[in-house]
Amino acid sequence: MARFRQRLAGLIPWAALLVAILVLPDLTRPTVATEVWVFAILALAFNLLLGYTGLLSFGQATFFGTGAYTAGLLLIHQRAHPLAALAVAALAGGLVAAVIGYLCIRRIGLYFIMLTFAFNLMAYFIVYQASSITGGVDGLPGVPRPPVDLYVLAWDIRPGIAYYLFVGLIFLLCAMTLKKVVDSPFGLVLQAIRENEARAAALGYNTAAFKRVAFIISGAFSGLAGALYGMLFGIVPIDTIYWVTSGNVVFMTLIGGTTSFFGPIVGAIFFIWLAETVSVRWERWPLIVGLVFVFVIFFFRGGFVEVWHRAYGLLVRLSQRGQPKYGHSKD
Amino acid sequence: MILEVSEIHAYYGLAHVLHGVSLRVDQGEVVALLGRNGAGKSTTLKAIMGIVPPRSGRVTFKGTNITGWPPHRIARLGIGYVPETRDIFSYLTAQENLLIAYNQRSRWTPETITELFPKLAELRDRRGRNLSGGEQQMLAIARALLTGPELLLLDEPSQGLAPIVVSSILEAVKRLKEQGLSMLLVEQNFDLAVELADRVYLIDHGQIVFEGAVQDLLARPELAARYLGVTV
Repeated sequence: MARFRQRLAGLIPWAALLVAILVLPDLTRPTVATEVWVFAILALAFNLLLGYTGLLSFGQATFFGTGAYTAGLLLIHQRAHPLAALAVAALAGGLVAAVIGYLCIRRIGLYFIMLTFAFNLMAYFIVYQASSITGGVDGLPGVPRPPVDLYVLAWDIRPGIAYYLFVGLIFLLCAMTLKKVVDSPFGLVLQAIRENEARAAALGYNTAAFKRVAFIISGAFSGLAGALYGMLFGIVPIDTIYWVTSGNVVFMTLIGGTTSFFGPIVGAIFFIWLAETVSVRWERWPLIVGLVFVFVIFFFRGGFVEVWHRAYGLLVRLSQRGQPKYGHSKD
Repeated sequence: MILEVSEIHAYYGLAHVLHGVSLRVDQGEVVALLGRNGAGKSTTLKAIMGIVPPRSGRVTFKGTNITGWPPHRIARLGIGYVPETRDIFSYLTAQENLLIAYNQRSRWTPETITELFPKLAELRDRRGRNLSGGEQQMLAIARALLTGPELLLLDEPSQGLAPIVVSSILEAVKRLKEQGLSMLLVEQNFDLAVELADRVYLIDHGQIVFEGAVQDLLARPELAARYLGVTV
């Protein structure tokens, strides 16, 4: 019974996500709503490194941008099937992450962070310079959104709301896959590495190899998110690979909470909502992000998710007032 | 002979901590390494495990020269390590701590290990950070055993624990000894070490100053007084 209850409790966040996906288009423009789930994928991929493995990658835009440009070029020049474009974008993100991860993981702490940042800047300048291919600073325009042809039926994803559902579906698949990853024995080892790498090694795990694989997985999902982003606006802006995007992912993940699987999703929803709605009325909107960030760091280190946990704990305590505080244990 | 350490020198940065330490552990033997704080006991274990790799000298395990190997390869070859700090993964549950260590070659499984530490059975779903010191120590030993070691390095298993907990850990280690597991034990608790060990090394300022059977050490109380500050 307890097990059943536990499994039921595990379903609650998924139900909430499903509701959120269905309700969000009623609350805001389809493009904004779509962007939320794109960045939610990116934040989840990033948190595999930060929250689960303890690696602060400050270059997640490298893989996001790689995916965006890869898919964009394939769709423009090869008229690729959208699912094929997504798959290749994920592959490209994973491949670039494999190389950069291999080099960065040799260093730890601050040096690791700065290396991921440095590679991000390099990637940016490569795209900036190769303007005949990438469009340089103007971005890569004219990314089409061809129908998702599944032989028996073709799903036209050109209308905003159709594409929104397409992205929502892919987001759910990505989130479920990543949840499987973090709950697997592999995910346990990543958490062990985060807590104490030396100890994980003394148990017989090649921790560097585990970190490299985590990096590749994270890169692949980031690449996938990048591809969805390019298809959303019909253009791949150079911002997709700019370091500010890397910083934004760090922001949204920390605000949402790194200690919970779902935290980064909440962070992405908040961040995109703020960026897309408040920014229209007040151009100094990053000030709000900054204030929220400072508040979270000072009072709720676990992010928004911790706010929820504390409120829930308070409710439980209030409802138990008057009852004996501790039961009697067997011994 | 399962482990042979010969003439190892180890450093923490510029500090020269081990000055040519040599020792051996035979198959099925329990060897205690005793010494004062800072004498180099824990460092010796870390050097064997590859966590503080020796700069010179040789570590041989089961006839294989493992000097300079990374810790994970040494662990896979069959050395289990229980650090002084226990290092339970605090966000994982006790069960997850066991699962993560489990290797098929171990004679225990995450389920059967509770025969050795019955207390662990009721703690399975408890997170590491919510375990007491004694519970963490049991879990740390259980975790090391699940990697399937042929040699167990135990760093101060009794440190900071209540006497009743120490005795239950002592019982478990005694059973391991009966089952023929080779162990290298670092201890401050002289009585406990003497009760468990077949042979003893005394270490002082990074050098082995005595080697012999437990009886030999007990026969020379001046040694214990000089190097350990205990009166036998």
